[in-house]
Amino acid sequence: MSIHTPLHPSEPWVELTTTAEDWAKADPQLLETMLGQLHLIRAFEEVVLELAGEGLVHGPAHSSVGQEGGAVGSIIGLGTHDAINGSHRGHHQFLAKVINHVSGQKLDVTNLVTPALQEVLQRTLAEILGLAQGYCRGRGGSMHLQNFEAGALGTNAIVGGGVPLGAGNAWAQKKSGTDNITVSYFGDGAVNIGSVLETMNLAAAWKLPFCFFIENNLYAVSTHVSEVTAEPRLSARALGFGFPSWKVDGMDPLAVHLAMKEAEEYMRSGKGPALIEAEVYRYFHQNGAFPGSAFGYRSKEEEASWRARDPLLRVANEMIALGLIDQAGVDSVREQALAANRKAAAELTEPNPDAAGKRRIRPSLWPDTSFVNVGVRGDASELKSARTLEPLTSSAPKVQMKFVDAVAGVLDRAMENDPRIVVLGEDIHRLNGGTNGATKGLSKKYPDRILGTPISENAFAGVGGGLALDGRYRPVVEFMYPDFMWVAADQVFNQIGKARHMFGGDNPVPLVLRTKVAMGSGYGSQHLMDPAGIFVTSPGWRIVAASTPAEYIGLMNAALALQDPVLVLEHVDLYQDMGDVLEGDFDYQIEFGKANVRRTGNDVTVLTYLSMVKHSITAVEQTGIDAEVIDLRWLDRASFDWSTVEASIKKTNNVLIVEQGAQGTSYGGWLADEIQRRYFDWLDQPVQRVTGGEASPSISKVLERAAIAGVEEIVAGLDRVKAGFGGAQ
Amino acid sequence: MRMPEVLANATEAIIAKWLIAEGESFTDGQAIAEVETEKALVEVPGEGDGVLGRYLAKEGSHVQVGAPIAVLTTQGEGAAEIEKAIAEAGVSLAPAAPEPTPAPAAATTAAPAPVVAATPTPAAAPTPSASLHGTRLFLSPLARRLAKESGLDPALIQGTGPDGRIVRRDVQAAIAKGGVAPAKAAAPALPNIPAGSFTDIPHSGMRKAIARRLTESKSSVPHFYLSAPVLADDFLNFRKKYNDWAPKKVSVTDLILKTVAAAFSDVPAANCIWTDTAVRQFADVDVSVAVATDNGLLTPVVRGINHLNLEQLGAVTEDLIARARAGRLKQNEIEGGSFSVTNLGMYGTDEFSAILNPPQSAILAVGAAKQKPVVIDGEIKVASVINFTLSVDHRAIDGALAAEWLAAFVKRFENPFWLAI
Repeated sequence: MSIHTPLHPSEPWVELTTTAEDWAKADPQLLETMLGQLHLIRAFEEVVLELAGEGLVHGPAHSSVGQEGGAVGSIIGLGTHDAINGSHRGHHQFLAKVINHVSGQKLDVTNLVTPALQEVLQRTLAEILGLAQGYCRGRGGSMHLQNFEAGALGTNAIVGGGVPLGAGNAWAQKKSGTDNITVSYFGDGAVNIGSVLETMNLAAAWKLPFCFFIENNLYAVSTHVSEVTAEPRLSARALGFGFPSWKVDGMDPLAVHLAMKEAEEYMRSGKGPALIEAEVYRYFHQNGAFPGSAFGYRSKEEEASWRARDPLLRVANEMIALGLIDQAGVDSVREQALAANRKAAAELTEPNPDAAGKRRIRPSLWPDTSFVNVGVRGDASELKSARTLEPLTSSAPKVQMKFVDAVAGVLDRAMENDPRIVVLGEDIHRLNGGTNGATKGLSKKYPDRILGTPISENAFAGVGGGLALDGRYRPVVEFMYPDFMWVAADQVFNQIGKARHMFGGDNPVPLVLRTKVAMGSGYGSQHLMDPAGIFVTSPGWRIVAASTPAEYIGLMNAALALQDPVLVLEHVDLYQDMGDVLEGDFDYQIEFGKANVRRTGNDVTVLTYLSMVKHSITAVEQTGIDAEVIDLRWLDRASFDWSTVEASIKKTNNVLIVEQGAQGTSYGGWLADEIQRRYFDWLDQPVQRVTGGEASPSISKVLERAAIAGVEEIVAGLDRVKAGFGGAQ
Repeated sequence: MRMPEVLANATEAIIAKWLIAEGESFTDGQAIAEVETEKALVEVPGEGDGVLGRYLAKEGSHVQVGAPIAVLTTQGEGAAEIEKAIAEAGVSLAPAAPEPTPAPAAATTAAPAPVVAATPTPAAAPTPSASLHGTRLFLSPLARRLAKESGLDPALIQGTGPDGRIVRRDVQAAIAKGGVAPAKAAAPALPNIPAGSFTDIPHSGMRKAIARRLTESKSSVPHFYLSAPVLADDFLNFRKKYNDWAPKKVSVTDLILKTVAAAFSDVPAANCIWTDTAVRQFADVDVSVAVATDNGLLTPVVRGINHLNLEQLGAVTEDLIARARAGRLKQNEIEGGSFSVTNLGMYGTDEFSAILNPPQSAILAVGAAKQKPVVIDGEIKVASVINFTLSVDHRAIDGALAAEWLAAFVKRFENPFWLAI
């Protein structure tokens, strides 16, 4: 008979329920503010649903009616420097946080709506209607509400997508020595998604002051929580990750508040994250003004039983019982809240001249359509005063250096100069500088800024994104192999790439993502892509790629200085290459958007980057064709050096785009498209291309070689170009 | 500008393509539109410098001869003048009506100033243009631009790029050679006959015209036929020796044309055609040459053969044939003549009878030169023989006259030394 010793979670898991004593002990001002916030949010949501019913809300209106208790109870105690983010259903959290901010956490129910508060209601409503005066200039709408000043980091339309970003914010709060916390709200539907679970692990491992707040409204759209998990007690999730958890009735705002106070104490004292599960109920369907029972996935009786426990009623009745307010007072709160929200709506709408009795959006309030692409990224003006030079042609004294040592060297120098720089990645703190030595020596020198991460690209990329949005730190994220970007695709493309634009275009996202192209290393189908083609077609990202150590130093410094997310591409083939670098100088930048003509020629313009630059030069020498080889260096469409490329094409009239990787995700597609449209009348033949094959490179050495492009393929490409010259002399 | 009467008795023509955009200016003699007649695509030039104010007919629309097709203005004139001109011409204001009604005669005679009544000018210099018709040319975008900038006609540039694409170096080579590269030898188009399936090719104007005119000819003109097998060795030897010696080679057709002209000088009475009121007798020898093109048969007229030496004749026919194949003949170049030569010898055809090309009165069908046994002075010898078949309009030419002409032709042909004179 084996011995069975019961094991227990390392941290407590409790359900908190209020007593009459708790209510009696509660600060009357707290309850008054709670009542005011609940009514303001409820009335706001009712007005949104009215507008949605009239077809004036473009897209979904995810109502929080019924769920106000969780948001108000948890946020009412937070200061402005505490932060929150949330999901697609986030009006209530956003409003609670911003109301808190403008009202100093105190509301007067006899004079509920101050001008500042009226403005909050109007601008929030304007954002939901997609109008220029909204907090995100109408870009974000109902699902992307952001107000940094108030500590509202932005709600998110990807289920669980905001959670890693919130953890990044918490890291910045902790690292900067504050006791502030970040609360990330998500629903029962998000509990089972990777972003959330990866972040639970990472936040606990790094002891981040971060609250996972589950608004368990029982239904992910129409699917009941018990259908999709064997542990529907969602607060149990924390136990597996080693942090404490509270379950609480979300229809009781005071209970939520008290649970949050306990969790805050844990988090603010530096012990790590906490989880709160508040059971709430969304009175209506996923969106719109019809109840869920109308769609048949739950009963009217169930809905009635939850409505009987309405959080607004609960607080009002407890306050009446305590003699803090009478029914007329409660009715007045309701009237004030409704009037204020109706007024906000009236400011944004007018009678529709084409349909009697109907409203329409005031036409003057729409954003100007010329705003559509503004703020996809910054304007790079932050680089204007930078010291730039061309290291390959510089006459300064030079020494030989390995490429990979230049990577570690420039990071070292940058971290020395700029204490904001933080590097995150797998194994970067061990193995004498990670798997390739790119962070050699750094973990000893900056132990708290070289962060070896769990294997969870989505979480740590998102932490980087959160750091970038916060702005106090400059994250440098490393993906050990480029293909891992697919694992982190939500954070990389949906969040980091889009955040600036989606939230209005103003808030920068300075993040550097390093990764190495590894074609030729035998790592096979899932490690060997060149990600440039995917990043170049994804809005928001800038891309740099160096072909020599000295240029890497200059490009990395520019990437670190930019206020945008920048992909810094490296290549394993280059790591061991020796090259001339400027002696003792790791501080210059390569001029923004400047390509490098590595060989001048008259017959064909070869556009290439990274390791293919040297292969192209070799191929050109073999064929004897008089090619002009341009190392693009800045690959994204906003940084691309059109003037250098244009001058070359107008001279040679022939173009060969050379890259190493597979056709499908290749970089040259967008470039060929641009070139034929810009220079059609200057081209003497189609834009020719050298790429790898269709398939991802295989492990087998010969198949890998056959799948990727090398010198031989470039020679063949140059021969195709030559055939296009025709036979005339 | 009105639809010119590009073909005798034609009542309408098609605007195939506008070559000048609305609002664009043109210079004297520059082609403004391509008009498709029953026989050819014709470039219609403007007179004097001006601006194309407005189209009055769409591309592809059938327009009555004499109806306005565009308003031409001078520099500085604007919409007001255009409207005025349209109003004065009595044209419906719908600018691109598919079937513009003919303008009233009064308006035609009292054409307001901006409307230039233009007819094709036979002597208009060919205008180099990058617009392509008939056969599709492949040029790189750069070559197209360079050719245009240098005033080169891409159709005259030899393409050496992939699939014959004209590329930058070809244009530069053409410029280096003084602007015109040797014309590409157009390969004869082979009919594409997919087995077991068919494609309906809609009739072009030219195909309809061929059908109508030849049906009319065969059914209304009383044809009779004379044929003669002719010894060709001396003739062919002459050509060979001539071509060995002369810088510019002559074709069999050129020599036959020359022989036809000589036969007419021997028998001038045969150089005539039938008209409703008279038999028209010609002084000069104008002979049509049948040219097969991708789009159908074309018959450019070689004029005044009796005045041309072999070298001149060779240059004239080469030019006409090349332009026939490129669809660039002018209308006046396919009209007139009393006689046609049609040669299917290069296809190996032994002998054939041709249908007259009205209003001409005779057509000579040339078969292939083939070695055959012939009896000469009682002995069987091997000799090259060509079968000639002459189709004749009996209304204008009787059998005896025709036979006399054919005998003169055969004599000249079999004794070609006179060609060297």
